[in-house]
Amino acid sequence: MSLVRPFDKLPTLNSAALLLVGTDEKQQQQLAEAILKEKKTFKINIHVATSLPLPAERDHIRPRIDLIAFLINIQSKYSLRNVEASLPHVDANFFLGKVCFLITGVGRMNHCSVEMNAVRKLGNLYCSPVIFCELDSEGIRVATAQRLVRMLQICAGHVPGISALFFSSLMKNSIDE
Amino acid sequence: MKQRGNAKNPKQALHVRPSSQTDLSAWQIGERKSGPKTVDLKSTQKPEKEKQQSVSEQAGNNTEDYLEQALTYFERAKDHIPLRKNEVLQKHLATVETIALQRGLSPEGLDVLLNVALSGRLADTVNSRILKCLIPASIIAESSVVSAVSWLCVGNCSCSTQLLFLRWLIAMFDFIDHKEKLHALYGFFFCSLQDEKLCPYICHLLYLLTRKENVKPFRVRRLIDLQAKMGMQPHLQALLSLYKLLCPELVSITLPAKAKSYFKNSERLWKAAINTVRRRNQATSLTSQQLILDIGHPQSRKRKWNTQLILPACTMDTNKITRSKAIIHADILSHSESFPVEELQTFSQLLKNIHRLEFPSQMGSVLRNSLLLHYMNCVKDESIYLRLYYWMGQTLQEECTWYKIDNQQYEEEFKDFLDIVYKTECFLQEGFSSCEEFLYKSLPLWDGFCCRSQILRLVSWIPLSSFSEMKPRLCEPLAQLFFTSSLYFKCSVLESLKDLLQNWLNWHVMQLDIESDPKISPLNTTLSGLVNSVAELIHFVGWISTVALRLENNVTFLLYFILDFYETVCDVYLKYNLPLLVMPPPGVFYPALLSMDSVNLNQLCYIMYRYRTNLVAAKENELIKKTILQFKFSSQTYQEYNQYIMAMVGCLWTSSAFQKDIHPQGIRLDPEVLKKTRVQEVRNSFNIVHHPALMGYAILFLQQAWPEDKTLNFSLIKGRRWNWYLEYLYTQGLQGLKLFIESSINRVSQASQTKSDNVQIKV
Repeated sequence: MSLVRPFDKLPTLNSAALLLVGTDEKQQQQLAEAILKEKKTFKINIHVATSLPLPAERDHIRPRIDLIAFLINIQSKYSLRNVEASLPHVDANFFLGKVCFLITGVGRMNHCSVEMNAVRKLGNLYCSPVIFCELDSEGIRVATAQRLVRMLQICAGHVPGISALFFSSLMKNSIDE
Repeated sequence: MKQRGNAKNPKQALHVRPSSQTDLSAWQIGERKSGPKTVDLKSTQKPEKEKQQSVSEQAGNNTEDYLEQALTYFERAKDHIPLRKNEVLQKHLATVETIALQRGLSPEGLDVLLNVALSGRLADTVNSRILKCLIPASIIAESSVVSAVSWLCVGNCSCSTQLLFLRWLIAMFDFIDHKEKLHALYGFFFCSLQDEKLCPYICHLLYLLTRKENVKPFRVRRLIDLQAKMGMQPHLQALLSLYKLLCPELVSITLPAKAKSYFKNSERLWKAAINTVRRRNQATSLTSQQLILDIGHPQSRKRKWNTQLILPACTMDTNKITRSKAIIHADILSHSESFPVEELQTFSQLLKNIHRLEFPSQMGSVLRNSLLLHYMNCVKDESIYLRLYYWMGQTLQEECTWYKIDNQQYEEEFKDFLDIVYKTECFLQEGFSSCEEFLYKSLPLWDGFCCRSQILRLVSWIPLSSFSEMKPRLCEPLAQLFFTSSLYFKCSVLESLKDLLQNWLNWHVMQLDIESDPKISPLNTTLSGLVNSVAELIHFVGWISTVALRLENNVTFLLYFILDFYETVCDVYLKYNLPLLVMPPPGVFYPALLSMDSVNLNQLCYIMYRYRTNLVAAKENELIKKTILQFKFSSQTYQEYNQYIMAMVGCLWTSSAFQKDIHPQGIRLDPEVLKKTRVQEVRNSFNIVHHPALMGYAILFLQQAWPEDKTLNFSLIKGRRWNWYLEYLYTQGLQGLKLFIESSINRVSQASQTKSDNVQIKV
């Protein structure tokens, strides 16, 4: 039972690790598969968890996490509560650009049970970008996977001249302020 | 069937339906004849096309018989039929339901079922089941609707059935073949307003039916009374605002400017089935696409409510027979002298009849008709645009594929629709506010993938408004997508923003022309407002370009699109007469100057040449007029230009880039540092011979000039040969470089000097 920390381990050469946190395991699986199918220049490790904290016993073999993506399904209030409960187990340094919120189920806006404002507020509160997508559609899943790979690449420090913190400041919405 | 129709509505014989419009129902009629029927049928021959299909439709023959039996059963039902333990009724009902939901019903079938459902002979549950499955395969005869309405007066049917019928009528409004008689019932519908439960639906129906001549003082009074009694109801407001639009002098009360939705969606119950039938019909025959289309009935002025992605057609098929029939039909109908739009085929016809044209009832149909678009452009009637925007806004929202995943299978259709909207915007040279609203609403949820090119093209037509309003709604979602998406996405965004800028500038030029005409008042944007918005847009693009170049490692392809944008920016003053010049940010200028590709360098040279031309012209204007101009370029712009030009000339010409560059973010380096790099002849490493983008040309030049020398001695290019080399570069198509060197570099002596100085524009 420990905080997930961004800088407590050394990075591995030419690889990056992504942590997906969300209640819908099948969706996470599909997304992870889509990410692994993407063409990329570095190795990607994907870790999947339904909630945080991560179990302490296997901590020593876990690589350094470069990006945490929290999945929130707009049709399920539970998924939002779950993410909210997991957030305290994330080290504050992560919020310097290494966290994003992935809002899924946008394709069924009329069955929305999570308020959009609540989601935007969450992103604002934790200074992290909010990305909307619909993982049930294959095309959008692939597009989302591509976007995540790009963000991961930056968060892992593979793009010269662009840091995670700088990038998250670019992604910030001024409306939220 | 025909007999049946005639007995009740003798006038039905009047309508001549164009053959291509009733393919499916004609086939159904034909099939019925083959069975042992008691009814007389009008059509005797199966059309050829259907014969070919009949093989695949063999299985359907039995169901046709069943349907016919069911219809006969319902027609003959005279007395009250109990529902319970009535297997015959159940069976027939089930038959009707399955067939109707699969392939729709013919006009005659609809007539029978409507009558029986509203006559009150059956139980309420049966009535509502029947009403819910009344899906037209082609059209609905006006006479059936009129007789159905007449049942409402008898008062046999329950309130809930009446309500359902009204909803059905609203949903099916566009399928009704003519609406003249329905219009005659306007007063009847208006009287029903007092029923509190029916009121919202009646309002909706009246909203669809209302024409200018229906707006009467007593009706306005009645509506205002109702509003006082019931409170501010959105449906009453909708009707009142329509009245106000049509006759502003009669409605004096103020109404809220915009309501999001006036009416509840009535068609939800039938939409899926209509779509199924429509798609099936499309598959059956291409011409049957017109089945669902309104006949372009010239008199009615109502809003298009139905949201079908396939645009309604207002012209008839080119098929001659069809056309001639259409003309007869139009002749019968035309009471006043207005010219039926479906006859409008040529531009000369448009010119001859322009004074007596009326828009089709389905506003969406104008999108495909360039003649009507011409007409629309020249009448400049606000209400027409309102009708179009209303319809378009609804359609865009209903059919959008990314926040309604159920629509995804229809993505191709949605793309086509967006394409047509874009083409119309190009045709009218005008951005639609409904599209703007749609973009603002849907971009934050967009994944950057569905309909990418269509959406980005629509972005280029966003009307000019204040940028502070646009920024949070458009720029921020777009920037988020831009930073996380691929190189190609970035390039497409830049291209559409360039188009957006050009559209705004074109609009400004148009506005300048109009302003000379005092009758037409210019839009309420001032010149300074316009200058600010344009400048903000340019700064925004400069910002995202700088970041994108860093993200993508200064790739040539991206740089090309960025410089393309600045090719428009640098000419704003001379080409579009707008007193504004914005220099590219250093994050764009330096990557272009030091780029590895001669295309980028050449583009940059051309841009700097145009900046110079614009600035010189502005300076001259200032000097000539002597008066204090409202707008003049700040000294900062000149200063920035001078800094850039010094860096450029230092780089390309005088080999002193590292010493002379005075831009704070430039490439000036201390001699100490330069020494440490241990690069030989570091000074001239970016001149036109050694520049990485031009070195290839230098090598080719050396090979041609000294074929025997294999050492590639670049220092040979100097003096007279320097000039030859320049000529060689110009012949290689580097016209931008030529313009730049000829304008910005003042060569002391053409004969032998390589030393020269750049001309600065002094403030």
